[in-house]
Amino acid sequence: MATSQAPTRQAITLKGSTNLVTEFFKYAANTILFQRGVYPSDDFHMVKKYGQTVLVTQDLALENYLDRILKQVNKWLLTGSVTQLVLAIISKDARLPLERWVFDVNLVEQPADSAEPTPTKPESEIQAEIRYILKQIVSTVTFLPIIDTPTVFNILAYTHDSADVPADEWVDTDPLAIEASKSQQVKLRSFSTDVHRIEALVAYRYEG
Amino acid sequence: MTSIPKTPSRYRSRSDAKTPLTPSIISAFNSISISPQKRSHPADLSNPFITKSRQASPVKRATGGGVIVSDSFHRQAGGGVIRKGGIETRLDVISRDYLPPTSQPRPELKRSRSTPATRERTQSTGDNRDRFITTRETDDVAATLELMSLNPKTVSPGHTARLAAATGVPLNRRVLAYHEAPPASSSDSTLSQQRELARPLYGRPGELPSSTSSTTNKSRRIPTQPERVLDAPGMVDDFYLNLVSWSIQNVVAVALAESTYVWRADTGIVSHLSEAPEGTYVSSVDFSNDGAYLGIGLGTGEVELWDVEAGQKLRTMGGHQGQIAVLSWNAHILSSGCGDGSIWHHDVRVPRHKVMELLGHTGEVCGLKWRADGELLASGGNDNVVNIWDGRVGDVTEGARGQAKWTKRNHTAAVKAIAWCPWQSSLLASGGGTNDATVHVWNSGTGARLHSLKTPSQVTSIIWSPHKKEILTTHGYPTNAIMVHAYPSLERIAEIRDAHDSRVLYTAVGPAGDVVCTGAGDENLKFWRIWEGVGAKKKKEGKERSSSTRSGILSIR
Repeated sequence: MATSQAPTRQAITLKGSTNLVTEFFKYAANTILFQRGVYPSDDFHMVKKYGQTVLVTQDLALENYLDRILKQVNKWLLTGSVTQLVLAIISKDARLPLERWVFDVNLVEQPADSAEPTPTKPESEIQAEIRYILKQIVSTVTFLPIIDTPTVFNILAYTHDSADVPADEWVDTDPLAIEASKSQQVKLRSFSTDVHRIEALVAYRYEG
Repeated sequence: MTSIPKTPSRYRSRSDAKTPLTPSIISAFNSISISPQKRSHPADLSNPFITKSRQASPVKRATGGGVIVSDSFHRQAGGGVIRKGGIETRLDVISRDYLPPTSQPRPELKRSRSTPATRERTQSTGDNRDRFITTRETDDVAATLELMSLNPKTVSPGHTARLAAATGVPLNRRVLAYHEAPPASSSDSTLSQQRELARPLYGRPGELPSSTSSTTNKSRRIPTQPERVLDAPGMVDDFYLNLVSWSIQNVVAVALAESTYVWRADTGIVSHLSEAPEGTYVSSVDFSNDGAYLGIGLGTGEVELWDVEAGQKLRTMGGHQGQIAVLSWNAHILSSGCGDGSIWHHDVRVPRHKVMELLGHTGEVCGLKWRADGELLASGGNDNVVNIWDGRVGDVTEGARGQAKWTKRNHTAAVKAIAWCPWQSSLLASGGGTNDATVHVWNSGTGARLHSLKTPSQVTSIIWSPHKKEILTTHGYPTNAIMVHAYPSLERIAEIRDAHDSRVLYTAVGPAGDVVCTGAGDENLKFWRIWEGVGAKKKKEGKERSSSTRSGILSIR
């Protein structure tokens, strides 16, 4: 289904791309929650995905929670309303943001001179890029500050004003930002499908 | 209105337009300069700041307090553009001096005066966050931004665009979070505490509190003399046979050559149950789960079904081509292991009793045990193979049941000793013969070999203690011993050497889980009290078991 009519092709791959992106968010979130110890490691079990083993939570409550959030994110992605997804890790007691994992969602620009449709990106390549990001997330433990205090996480979605927000489920809130003087940012790798481009970045609190 | 260090807006707002800040208004705000909605000074709406916007250029101010706000500022600010009466008041945003809308107070961001201006401009419904300054980083930035955005009226599209570019937060953006907080870890701290407590229990063998309360469990004393000895004349010395079974009704069945006797442990009465047909001998006996029926396997390959109470033979199920060395019941299914290596499932209720056949052994099947829940069947053979079969009986897609779920070839001798763990149903223990003399513990779910224990002599049977975390093994050449090991450390707790004069071949554990009955070719049936009876200790054991199970899960992992 490479070429053919551009609009229909767009529509098809948009849905597929959003599903890919949503799935990536799910596994990235699980990986982050495991690596940063937000939930005890016993709660996670290994699953084969993207050609490697990733850790996914077994805790049903958490899984349902993430699924509900991601279902809405999926809807937003379809309409192009969400621009950024942030997984903020805050300390449980003081509600101090310790880390922010920021995933930018951009739409891939169609090259102007696409007289012939650009070849679709093979799924294996997308999977490889996702693999790199996940591996990188795991490797961030080498420099991220150790978290001793119990933490909770919050998922924030940056959307357009015009986004259709189910009012009873999503509320506007504080972005849980880390003060610029105390925050260090590390840009991680990105991956892109034919439709979306996801860039990852981690901002962590670093004193001194 | 030049109340400098105060936030006059609070009061000012009241007087002003009360139109709530709806998103449309906000967006209108963003797009245009001033909200054309309310104000009391229409004249002032003429965006003086557009021209004078440079005035508001980011002067480096340490804090908002030092803002040099000109009069025009104030005018603008007081110009009713700051709709205090709107959302802000309702949201109580003004109560703070332009504190960033986080729960944490940010003292450095001392805003004074027209702070609300910024806020209102960026108010979205219910959100008291500043759209332009979503991330309040330093005071400087915030201060300057605040300066810049002091007056919504003066916001020009170009200005906001610059602002947006500067802060990196585009306009028309909302930051949303799911209304529910993420679930706390379901295990929480209590489980981890329990884990911490349970972990050392099985960390080192020495720490395991033994049943006889002695400090070390190595020297736990079990009586080396049997509690009772029964005479069993004619008991054959054949490694492959299984001639003793103990039912849940506390009845022991013993096969002596061709005869089968039942001994009621409660009354001590022995009664002769059956005689094998002429020319053949009894090769195995097994009580059904409820103890009402006894299956007797004969050397000719027939399986007899007897009613124990009535002493009546109910049926004979034939067909096998070799001796039936081992039987195992699962509800109404009686499984028989044959000398030709086949395992048949007999449904004892129907005329055509053979409902399934499992072919997984090339040597005689001498060990066969159903798991208590009937999900799996374990078999061991003379071919040194341990097979774990799916327990579902019946026709399913070909190949689904035709092959064993797991096939283990780690043993180097015949596997007669097979036992499922009563407290952890996925564990299976298997023991090998003379050449092997090793006990392997398997996880039947993953197929992993969890533990291995080398013993000095051939393993003839394995019994898991129902109430303690221990394994009992009986042995033949050369020690003829009964050994008790701790699980999972597999540390030897006790050993009774020369329990019999010949190989201890046949074993059964009593329904109370305290006495073990052993039979050997020396024509003796000995009863050993290995574990304490359940009763007073039941409560403790029960709790221990539950936590131990959990720690057992941990250690297996």
